[in-house]
Amino acid sequence: MSQPQTLIRIAHVSKRYQEGDRERVVLADVEAAFGAGEHIAIVGRSGSGKSTLLNLLAGLDLPSAGEIWIGGDCISRFSDRARTLFRRDHIGFIFQFFNLISTLTVRENVVLTAELSGWKPPAARAQTDRLLDAVGLLDRAQTFPDKLSGGEQQRVAIARALCADPPLILADEPTGNLDADTGAQVMGLLTALARERGKTLIVVTHSSEVSALADRIFRLDHGRLLEVAHRHPA
Amino acid sequence: MRDALRRPWLTGLLVVSVALGVAVVVAIDMANESASRAFALSTEAVVGKATHQIRGGPNGLDETVYRDLRVIDGYRASAPVVEGYGIAVELGRQTVHVIGVDPFAEAPFRTYFNSTTSAPLDALTGFFTQPGAVLMSADSAARFGVKVGDALTLDVGSQRRQAVVVGFLQSPNEVSGRALEGLWLTDIATAQEFFAMAGRLSRIDLIATASAAEAIAARLPPNLTLAPASEQSNTVAQITAAFQLNLTAFSLLALLVGTFLIYNTVTFSVVQRRQVFGIMRSLGVTGAQIFGLVLMESALLGALGAALGLGLGVLLGRTTVQLVTQTINDLYFNVTVNSIDVTWLTVIKGIALGIGAALLAAVAPAAEATTAPAVATLQRSSLEERVRQLVPRLALAGVLLVAGGAALIAFIQTSVVASFAGLFIGLIGVVLWVPAITVGLMRLAAVGLGRAGLTGRMAARTVTGALSRTAVAIAALMVAVSVTIGVTVMIASFRTTVGHWLDQTLLADIYISPPQATANRSVTMEPALAERIRAVPGVAEVEVYRNVVVDAPALGAVRVSAVTVAHARDAGLYRYAAGTPGETWQAVEGGAVVVTEPFANHHHLPPSGGAVTLLTDQGPHTFPVAAISYDYSSDQGIVLMSLNVYRRYWNDPEISSVAAFVSAGANREMVEDAVRAALAGSVVVVRGNKALRDAALVVFDRTFAITAALRWVAVIVAFIGVVSATMALQLERTRELGVLSAAGMTLAQLWRLTLLETGLMGATAGLLSMPTGLALAAVLIYVINLRSFGWTIFFAPAPEVYLEALALSVAAALLAAVYPMRRLMHASRETTAALRSE
Ligand SMILES: Nc1ncnc2c1ncn2[C@@H]1O[C@H](COP(=O)(O)OP(=O)(O)OP(=O)(O)O)[C@@H](O)[C@H]1O
Ligand SMILES: [Mg+2]
Repeated sequence: MSQPQTLIRIAHVSKRYQEGDRERVVLADVEAAFGAGEHIAIVGRSGSGKSTLLNLLAGLDLPSAGEIWIGGDCISRFSDRARTLFRRDHIGFIFQFFNLISTLTVRENVVLTAELSGWKPPAARAQTDRLLDAVGLLDRAQTFPDKLSGGEQQRVAIARALCADPPLILADEPTGNLDADTGAQVMGLLTALARERGKTLIVVTHSSEVSALADRIFRLDHGRLLEVAHRHPA
Repeated sequence: MRDALRRPWLTGLLVVSVALGVAVVVAIDMANESASRAFALSTEAVVGKATHQIRGGPNGLDETVYRDLRVIDGYRASAPVVEGYGIAVELGRQTVHVIGVDPFAEAPFRTYFNSTTSAPLDALTGFFTQPGAVLMSADSAARFGVKVGDALTLDVGSQRRQAVVVGFLQSPNEVSGRALEGLWLTDIATAQEFFAMAGRLSRIDLIATASAAEAIAARLPPNLTLAPASEQSNTVAQITAAFQLNLTAFSLLALLVGTFLIYNTVTFSVVQRRQVFGIMRSLGVTGAQIFGLVLMESALLGALGAALGLGLGVLLGRTTVQLVTQTINDLYFNVTVNSIDVTWLTVIKGIALGIGAALLAAVAPAAEATTAPAVATLQRSSLEERVRQLVPRLALAGVLLVAGGAALIAFIQTSVVASFAGLFIGLIGVVLWVPAITVGLMRLAAVGLGRAGLTGRMAARTVTGALSRTAVAIAALMVAVSVTIGVTVMIASFRTTVGHWLDQTLLADIYISPPQATANRSVTMEPALAERIRAVPGVAEVEVYRNVVVDAPALGAVRVSAVTVAHARDAGLYRYAAGTPGETWQAVEGGAVVVTEPFANHHHLPPSGGAVTLLTDQGPHTFPVAAISYDYSSDQGIVLMSLNVYRRYWNDPEISSVAAFVSAGANREMVEDAVRAALAGSVVVVRGNKALRDAALVVFDRTFAITAALRWVAVIVAFIGVVSATMALQLERTRELGVLSAAGMTLAQLWRLTLLETGLMGATAGLLSMPTGLALAAVLIYVINLRSFGWTIFFAPAPEVYLEALALSVAAALLAAVYPMRRLMHASRETTAALRSE
C-alpha cells in the first residue's frame, strides 16, 4: 500500500463573510489532506463554497480561521506578495471563463506563466510550443484568443496553467462553459496531461463525468468537506 | 441617464470637460463682447446723432471754419467739438474722455445732454461761468464719492489742469448710463484750455443728407476732410478685430481638446454597455433608437456641462475682461469697462458649442452602439480588430485633411479666419495619424522593451490592443501639448524678436514722456521741456518725437511719428531700405518717409519704392517711402518722418516725448535725477533705457497673458482626458489584471505594467507633439501673426520646451494611472470577483 505523500493540508479552515450585521459562514472547519499527484474532484451545490475553497488554496484569498499548507509552506500565513510569488511557481489556475489575455497571442498567453516564474526565454518558448502541441494548437500560436472557440480557448488555458511546470493545478469548473462533448474532450486532455506530468489536480465541477475521472471525490455541504468516493489505484 | 449616474466618475469627467471648454469660450467671448460694447456705447454717446464729421490735422481745425459754416453758409445743423483724453488723478488715475461742446448747438446731436436739463439750474449756470467746470456721470461720481463743487485734477499730456465738478450727467436708462462712464462733459472754452487748443476745434459734427454733405465738402479748404460719422467707429472695430479673433480661436482650441475627451468618455460608456445594447436589440429595439439614445444621453450631459461652463465662464470672465481691456488700453485705445455683459448671444453660443461638441463626439460611438450584436458577449477585441482595420484609412484621411488645411492656409491669404480654419483642419488631420503612428511606435517599443521582459512587451501590446481607447487619449494629450509647444514657441519667439528690436530702437539713455503716452496714443508735451532737458548738464544730445494721427485720403487714420535723430539706427532694423541707414535718414530729411512693416502689410505697399499720400495742413501730399522698418509697437503701422519735414507740412509745434543721450563719462543715474529735477512741476515720466525696455516687455507679457493661460486650460483638459482613458482601460481590464494576479504577477509588477502602459502613451503623445507643436508654432508665427498683425517674427526654437513637453506628457500619463491603480489595490477582492463571473 503506497500512500502518496501529502501535498496539501487544509487544517480547520473556516471562511466567513460579513453581510450587513449577519455573518455568513461559507466554510466551517474544513479538514482535508490531498496527496501529491492525486486527482481530486470537488462537487457541491451552487453557492456551497467550492470556488471559495479553491481561491483559498490558490492564495487568492485568506481563510477567516485555520491554516492551509502546501508542501512545507503554510501559505495562509504568507503576505500577499509572498503568496503571489508562491503561486507563480507552484500553482496553475484554470478558470471557467478561460480568461485569456485578449491583447496577447495564444503563444504569449501560454509563455506568460513561465516567464513570470523566471524561465529563460528559450526554455520558456520550447516549453510553450511543447504544450501547445500537446493541446493540439501549435498551428494557432500566433492567433489572438478571441478567434478561438470556447474549447480551444480552454485548451490554451490548460497549456498556460501547465507552462511554468507547477506541481498543483487548480481548475474551477473548467468545462462549465462548454458543451458536453467538448467538455469531455478538454477534461480528458487535462487529466491526461496532469497524469503524464505527475501533477496534483483539483477540479471543481458539477459534472459527474468530470468527477468520475478523479481519484477521490469530495462534496462541500453546509460548509463541510466530505469525501464521498475513493477510487483505489488499480 | 440612469446609466450615467451609475458611472459618476466618467460622467463627471465628461461634464467637466464640456464645462471647461465652454467656460473658456464664454469667458473670452464675454471679454471681447464687453470691450466692444463698452467701446460702441461710448462712441455712440460721443458721436450722437451726427451723420458726418469735419476733421482737420493733428492739431484740429480753426474755429473760424465753424463760424463760416454757420454764418456764411447758414448751415445750422452743426456742432463744434473739442475733445481729448486726460488722467483723472483722484478717480483712481482713470483715463477720462473729455468732450467740450457748445450747449446751444448740442440739442439735436447728443441725447445725454438733454438729461442735464433736469440738473439743478445752478449747475448749468456754473457750467457756463466757472473755469474748469465739468459734468461727470452720476454713477462714477457716486463710486468715487465725488460731490458737486469738488475740485479734480486732470493730467493732460505733461500738464496739470484743475477741473471743478458742477453737476452730474443723468442718463434716462442703464445702457446710456454705462456709455457715460469715463466721460466728462464741458464747454468748448474749458476744453480748449485743457487741451491747449485755443481758437481750434477737434471736429465739427453735422447732421446732413448725402447731397448736403457733398456740397459742404466741396467748399472746405483742402486740409480738412468730411467723412461719415460711422467711419470712425468702424475703423476702431477693425483695429481690435485681429486681436479678438486670435483670442476666440485659441478658446476654440481648448474646446477642441475637450471634444476628444467627450468622444473618449462616450465611447467608453457605449463599449461598457454593449451587452445591454445587444439585449435591447434582441428585444426589438431598432438601431436608430439606440443611436438616438446614445446621442440623447450625450446631448443631455453636454447641456449640463455647458450650463456649468457658462457659470464658470462668467466667473472667469471677470478676469478675462480685465485682461482684454488692459490690452486694448495698452495697445489700441481707451476703453472703460465697468460692467460685464453676458449677452444672450454669448449664452446661446456657449450652450450650442457645448451640446454641439458633445453630439459631434458621440456620433461615432453611437454608430458603434447600433452594431452591438444581438448576443450577450463582450467582444472588445473584435471592436479593436475593426479599429485596427480603420487605421490606414484614418491615416489617409489625415493626409487629405493636412493637405486641405495647408491649401487653405496657402491659397486664401487674405483671411485670418481661413488660416485658423486651415490650422484646425490640419491639426485634426494630424490627430488621425495618431493611431497609425502609435501602432508603429509600439511595435518598436515592443522590440525594445521585449528584451527587458514580458511586462514591457505586454505594455506595448496593450497600448495597441486597446487602440480605440489609447489612441484617443494620446491624441488629446498630443493636441494639448502641441498647443502648449506651439504657443510657447510663438510667444518666446515673439518676445525674443521684440527684445532684440527694443535693443535696436531704444538707443537713448533716458526717455521722457507724459504718463499717458503709449506707442498708439497721441499725447502732448510742452515743447519748452525739450530745451530744458537739453540744458541739463550731462545730457549730450536729445531726440524729439511727435506722435500724431493724421488723415490719409485712401488709408483712413494713419499714425505718424515725426522724429529728430541723433544717432543712426542699425541696418538690421530695416526690412527694406534704399541705402545705408545714413542714406535712408538723408532721404527722410529730404522729405521721404519710413513706414513700419505692419503698415506696409496692411496697406499692401510694394516691397520697395512705394509712396504714402497723407492729408497735410496744405492739402494732400505724397511722400516717397525710403525704407520699411521692423516695428512691434503698433499692429496698425506707423509712418516715420523727420520732425523738420513734419513741421513743414503741418502747423503743429507740439512734441510728444523726448529721448536724451548722456555724454560719455557722465553718470547716467545722476543725469536721470537731474532731468527729473529740471522737469519738476510737469507731469512727465522720466525713465532709464532699461526701465522703458522692461515696461515694454511688461505690456508684451500682459498682452499674451490670456493666450498663455489658455494653453494650460488645454493641458488640464487633456490631463482629464488621459485620466479618463486610463480609467476606462483599467476598468475594462480589471478581469485581465485578476488573471495576471492569479498567474503570479505581484502588485509591484502590475503597477509597473500599468505605469509602463500609460508612460508609453505619454511618451508617444510627447514625441508626436514635438513636430506638431513646431509646425503649429510655424503657422502661428509665419501665417497667423503675419496676417493678423503684419509682424515678422523671428523663430526662436526655445529648445527646453520640447523636453518640457515630453516630461509633461509622460508625467500627465503616469499621474493618470494612479487613480485606477489605487482602485486595483483596494480591489484584490474585486479581482477574485471579476474572475468568477462573466
Ligand atoms: N466576497 C464575498 N462576499 C460575500 N459573500 C461571498 C463572497 N464571495 C462569495 N460569497 C458567498 O459565498 C458563497 C460561496 O460562494 P462560491 O462562489 O464559493 O460558491 P460556488 O460553490 O463556487 O458556487 P457555484 O457553483 O455557483 O460557482 C456564496 O453564497 C456566495 O454568495
Ligand atoms: Mg464557483
